[in-house]
Amino acid sequence: MSDAKAVADRLVKAKRLNALLTPPKELRKSLNTQIAAARPTGVLYGMPVAVKDNICTLEFTTTCGSRILEGYRSPYEATAVAKLKAAGALIAGKTNCDEFAMGSSTEHSAYGRVLHPLDKARVPGGSSGGSAALVGAGALPAALGSETGGSVRQPAAFCGVVGIKPTYGRVSRYGLVAFGSSLDQIGVFGRSVHDAARVLSVISGRDPRDSTCEDRDPLRLPTVPESLQGFVVGLPKEYFPPELDPAVRRACDRAIRMMKELGAAVREVSLPHTPYAVPTYYVIAPAEASSNLARYDGVRYGPRFNGATDLRSLYRSTRGQGFGPEVRRRILVGTYVLSSGYYDAYYRRAQQMRALIAQDFRNVFDRGVDLLFTPTVPSPAFKAGEKLADPIAMYMSDIFTVTANLAGLPAISLPIGRVKGLPIGGQLIGQAFLEDEMIEAAYALERVVPATDEA
Amino acid sequence: MSVSREEVLRIAQLAELDVDEEGLPTLAEQMSRILDYVAQLSAVPANGTVKVFVPGPDAIRFRVDEVVPSQLAFGPEDFAPDFKEGFFVVPKLGQFE
Repeated sequence: MSDAKAVADRLVKAKRLNALLTPPKELRKSLNTQIAAARPTGVLYGMPVAVKDNICTLEFTTTCGSRILEGYRSPYEATAVAKLKAAGALIAGKTNCDEFAMGSSTEHSAYGRVLHPLDKARVPGGSSGGSAALVGAGALPAALGSETGGSVRQPAAFCGVVGIKPTYGRVSRYGLVAFGSSLDQIGVFGRSVHDAARVLSVISGRDPRDSTCEDRDPLRLPTVPESLQGFVVGLPKEYFPPELDPAVRRACDRAIRMMKELGAAVREVSLPHTPYAVPTYYVIAPAEASSNLARYDGVRYGPRFNGATDLRSLYRSTRGQGFGPEVRRRILVGTYVLSSGYYDAYYRRAQQMRALIAQDFRNVFDRGVDLLFTPTVPSPAFKAGEKLADPIAMYMSDIFTVTANLAGLPAISLPIGRVKGLPIGGQLIGQAFLEDEMIEAAYALERVVPATDEA
Repeated sequence: MSVSREEVLRIAQLAELDVDEEGLPTLAEQMSRILDYVAQLSAVPANGTVKVFVPGPDAIRFRVDEVVPSQLAFGPEDFAPDFKEGFFVVPKLGQFE
């Protein structure tokens, strides 16, 4: 149990990161109210959890890092947020993110970029960069983010914290602002595997308000295992290409050695369609985004931009001025790939490739592999501005994370070492709805891996 | 392939999105690069035998067909840009081509 003032003080101290969008005064006031109302018997009683700004809360505005929702207050809250509150957690403000969760660096926010907690010239990753930076800076034990293509695991790797993306359907998407509905899942950041896992267990489980959420009980937390005896860990060769950053490779090699020492059987496997994952993602995600973001038209929510003389120009001017460059680009690409004459060449092909990518994973798991181990990102945190002018270079940052989203699988990133002081993440990809096994292995690895040592 | 200025404008119209004149060449160039990049998917056999993968529950879950009141903390008058007497207020329709 923590007191409201101490929680707010820690968050306000991290202000220079530009990670929190909630003004300090509002945060203090809300935390005081929340702590008085929190249920003392809840399993997360008094635990502050910040929430990415694309997840609806009643306490604070929900802007998705966009001008088009500036000042927007949702009239309902996300199921995940309601579950956190029911468990006694405190909603510790809204975190900055790439606009509508589109980006890999949290530079695409209408409210300014988020700084990396260890090096202000670098990015914290994205799109859930605000949540990752606050946990990485030690301002919070845990935070919620969201994943469409790696937006929890990639910033978790960059900021040296744990990030979990659950199986598609494990956590309700009710109240998560839709970007790519067949890919989106709420994910969790934690200082440790345990912090992240216990928040995940609270927010998981069935929800009558989301028909894509599976009819299952909440995730049960595994115990910390003594060894990895009996685990078969696959190393997909496509995730260890020759051009992989040598320090990332060294950190992975060390983690693999440690898993073997813990008794895991390690074998090389192949996921042959991996090279097509990023192009597949960048057809499917923009296509779904172009449809989901059609609702922001200046009629029902958010501000309305001036200069409209008729309805259509209201739509166009609101959307043209309200969306930032990356969102505009993706809406246009999405509209293009769905437009008449291009649908078969792009969208249909991408859907087929997605099926082949999912089949790759099934083939490996059917052959007795329990989990896959890979680097989370090919390199440590990059410098701000470095990839802004080149969308493809930015997209490549998701190369090892998008596959789990396309296949709907759970995955976790945990810190496995550093290079020149910057964190490196290792990723475990699990089988659908076997988060408990994945978390068990992560517990074991976390205990032995020198997460803050140079690789 | 390259996306022309006119094509960007046509797509922007479909997407109901204003794009400014000065940004058009960069946008056309970036869209061309992105579409070139994703075009490598044409390596997939297009014979239609690959079954589309959809994550999530295998079957649609039905619920009891009864009206449940929406539990909004407040109504559209508090979040819409312009809302009067139960209606969202918009400018005149104008010409829809």
